[in-house]
Amino acid sequence: MTSLDILLIIVRVAFGAFVPLCFVAVCVWMERRGAAFFQDRSGPNRANIMGFRAGGLIQNLADAVKLFFKEDIIPGHIKHKFYFVLAPMIVCVTALVSFAVVPFADTLVLGDREYVMQAIPMDIGILWFLAIAGFAVYGIILAGWSSHNKYGVLGGLRSAAQVISYEIPMGLAIISLLVVYGTVNLSEMAQFQGQLLFGFIPMWGVLLQPLGVIIFIIAAFAEANRTPFDLAEGESEIVAGYHVEYSGMKFTIFFMGEYVAMFTSSAIIVTLYFGGYQIPWFNTATLLKFAVPVALLVMAAVPVIGKFVAAWIRKNNVSHYDRENDPRVREANVYIKIVWGLVILVEAIFFLYLVFASGGAADHILVALLQVCTFLAKTTFMCFVYVWVRWTLPRFRYDQLQKLGWNILLPLSLLNIFVTSAIVVALS
Amino acid sequence: MSIKVKTIVRQGKSLQERLYLIEVFKGMAVTFRHFLRNFLDNSKLYVRHYPEVKPEITPRWRGRHRLTTHEDGSMKCVACFMCQTNCPAKCIQIEAGERTDGRTEKVPVKFDIDLLECIYCGYCVEACPKDAIRMDTGIFSVTGYKRESMLMTMDDLLATKGAFSEEEYKKGGA
Repeated sequence: MTSLDILLIIVRVAFGAFVPLCFVAVCVWMERRGAAFFQDRSGPNRANIMGFRAGGLIQNLADAVKLFFKEDIIPGHIKHKFYFVLAPMIVCVTALVSFAVVPFADTLVLGDREYVMQAIPMDIGILWFLAIAGFAVYGIILAGWSSHNKYGVLGGLRSAAQVISYEIPMGLAIISLLVVYGTVNLSEMAQFQGQLLFGFIPMWGVLLQPLGVIIFIIAAFAEANRTPFDLAEGESEIVAGYHVEYSGMKFTIFFMGEYVAMFTSSAIIVTLYFGGYQIPWFNTATLLKFAVPVALLVMAAVPVIGKFVAAWIRKNNVSHYDRENDPRVREANVYIKIVWGLVILVEAIFFLYLVFASGGAADHILVALLQVCTFLAKTTFMCFVYVWVRWTLPRFRYDQLQKLGWNILLPLSLLNIFVTSAIVVALS
Repeated sequence: MSIKVKTIVRQGKSLQERLYLIEVFKGMAVTFRHFLRNFLDNSKLYVRHYPEVKPEITPRWRGRHRLTTHEDGSMKCVACFMCQTNCPAKCIQIEAGERTDGRTEKVPVKFDIDLLECIYCGYCVEACPKDAIRMDTGIFSVTGYKRESMLMTMDDLLATKGAFSEEEYKKGGA
């Protein structure tokens, strides 16, 4: 094992562990500001450090500080304290671990060594995700049961029934996907989606499996306990459902687990159906072949993007009422300087790459970085879709939820398997 | 003569609506238009930037109380106890004393309103025969760090000025 091997293991594991955790902050921020914008209000925009509000991100820090210093209560009526404490851990850890098999860049070739860009480089891929995601509901059931509370038990029961109903269409949707891709390895699936259909359409899962993607996304929403399927914590009926007795850090871990699960299932949806880390029309081989023109293209695009972002900050980061020496304008000046600083940094990196390192190992690293950025952008958009759906659709009634799962999604996914298999057999 | 029967057209039975997904996408398009409009230009949000921008208060609005005075600065209140008797929350405490300036016989020596008890019903204003108590200060945000600070004494009530002109106040129906 060379030091390069060890370094890459550290990088990959760090990516798998910290990116979902960082995205908790991004998702919460996106949820709160997004919800506000969907409803024509402005959301949290007052919390600041020395006048810097970072578009509301500082509110997350304030929330975190509040949750850290809250009293961590275990109510006296709870007999099974071990399970009570264990439940939030299960929810959070399963969500984190199920991200470990998602590839965030194509296999990195350095010299004669190949590095699979997953936190845990293993072949079982989607099976691992199914197993671990199914395990997450144990945390919710355990929380509901050990809370020794009517609302908690009801929330846990609902969640259990819901996950059982929706795992089946989800699994069946994946089966028809496996028929198409012919593999369970997520890296290979993502590589498959780098090909072109009829020579000009990116061969993404969403085009090969249009019915499967709808079924899978609906089931993934139900698995992540998100609106319109968040009956497990339907506050109008059962207060807060399974986490009604939780407070302080234990509640925080539930909360984080929920958002990590949202990020992970976004990542899985992206990997299965939206090309994973693939940039449309530019698969890894093409990117490596045209590394220098692509680098030049990025160098040309970055200042344009920077200009638009700067203009947007200038327009929106002002007080919309009469105010002398508006501090938000000063704030915006600093943000715009940061944006241009980042632009210059990116330009400098690409310039150094073009002058000194073009060709060889640097090409591979550049391509991997571009793919990581693509993957994160796609996943962020998918998280936004979660937020978007949450603030569009009302919650299902419980019988409607079961009816949708068993009467509609299950037959549809079976039909999808038959049609897909027939087409695959006919074409091969 | 039969009873008028109005037949309500039931929605949601057409195939397009029963497919559900099309309607979901329509709804998502609506919300996304709102998001995009607010995201690209947040001056279009339907919000009042509250602590900095105050709402407009009409003269009829019942705010914090004040005691009115004659032109020479002497109190209009004659300590008749009408407001205290009429108060459903029992938040007014008056103690009467002798008046020395010759206008009337009595004047309050203590006139306390406990704002924690007050329900802002305005009955004291209606009951007052001398137009001595009004709720036209326009103060709608009543806060304090201590319970004691929520007790308005006679001096506090006299010191507060009305937020509206006499004509505006009269137009408001007082």
